[in-house]
Amino acid sequence: MTIKVGDKVPSVKIKHMTKDGVKDITTDEIFGGKKVALFALPGAFTPTCSAKHLPGFVQNASAIKGRGVSTIACLSVNDAFVMDAWGKNQNVGDNVLMLADGNAELTKALGLEMDGSGYGMGTRSRRYSMLVDNGVVKQLNLEKPGAFEVSNAETMLKQL
Amino acid sequence: MAIKVGDRIPAAKVRHMTKDGPKEITTDELFKGKKVAVFGLPGAFTRTCSGQHLPGYVQNAEALKAKGVNAIACVSVNDTFVMDAWGKSQSVGDKVMMLADGNAELTKALGLEIDRSDVGFGLRSQRYSMIVDNGVIKQLNIEKPGAFETSGAETLLKQF
Repeated sequence: MTIKVGDKVPSVKIKHMTKDGVKDITTDEIFGGKKVALFALPGAFTPTCSAKHLPGFVQNASAIKGRGVSTIACLSVNDAFVMDAWGKNQNVGDNVLMLADGNAELTKALGLEMDGSGYGMGTRSRRYSMLVDNGVVKQLNLEKPGAFEVSNAETMLKQL
Repeated sequence: MAIKVGDRIPAAKVRHMTKDGPKEITTDELFKGKKVAVFGLPGAFTRTCSGQHLPGYVQNAEALKAKGVNAIACVSVNDTFVMDAWGKSQSVGDKVMMLADGNAELTKALGLEIDRSDVGFGLRSQRYSMIVDNGVIKQLNIEKPGAFETSGAETLLKQF
C-alpha cells in the first residue's frame, strides 16, 4: 500500500557513500528530529532525472533550507557507487544527500515501486517528492507514470 | 547452472546506448559470425571495475583486435543510462561496447548471477571474461567472489 500524508516513514536501512566508503543509513537517522525534503526518481543518469529533477533541487537548495528544511535527499533504486558518481557528475556537493536504495527496500516499504523491466531497469521507484517532519509525511507529490509536473523543487518550495 | 566452454550463448536481449537512445540488441546480433571478447562485472562505477577491469580492456583493445577479436563487450546488471555514463567517464570511445543487462536476462541465462543484496546491489553478475566465437564459448574465466585474478584483459590476450 502506498504511503500517504500523516503516515510515518517505515524503518528501513539503505546506503550512502561517505568519505570512508559505502555506509548503511537508517530512515531513523535520516528523518528523526528533522525536516527533510525527499525526492525520488526512476534512475540516476536518466534524461529527466539528470536534466531537470536533481538540478532543480540543487539550484533551490538554499531557498529550501532557508525555510527550515535540514536535509534535502535524493532517493533512487541504484547502488551507492552509481548514486555517488551521479552526484559528482551533477555537482551536488553538500546540497543534496544521495541515497542508494539498491535493493528497493525503502521504495517497497513506501509502496512506491514500479516495474521498469520494460526498459531494462528492473524494479525502480516512481517519481515523487515528499516533505517529512520528524519521520511523518507532511506533503506527498506523486507523479503519474512518465510525468514530471508536481515533484519538482519549485512546487515543494511553495509547500513550505 | 553456469555456462561452460563449448556451450552456445543462449538467446537473450540486452540494451545499449545509441545516438538515438537506448536500443535492444540480441545475443544473435552480438555474436553471430564474429569473435567477441566479453567481460562481466558486478557494477558500473565500483572500485575494481572502474579502477582495473574496464580500463584494462580499454588499454588492450588494439592488441585484442589484432588477435582477430571483432568486438569487446562489457556486461553489467545496470541500466543503459548508467552503462553509457560509466563508459563516457572511462573514455571507452568505440573500443568497448557497454552492454546493459538491467533485468539480468543474459546474466541469468548464462547462470552467472550472484545475489549482492548484502551490499545494496540486488542481483548482479559475477566477474568473468570469455571468448565467444560465432556464439560458442571458447574460453571462460570466472572469478571467485571478490577476486580479480583471471578475468583481466592481459589473461584473455594470452588465451588466443
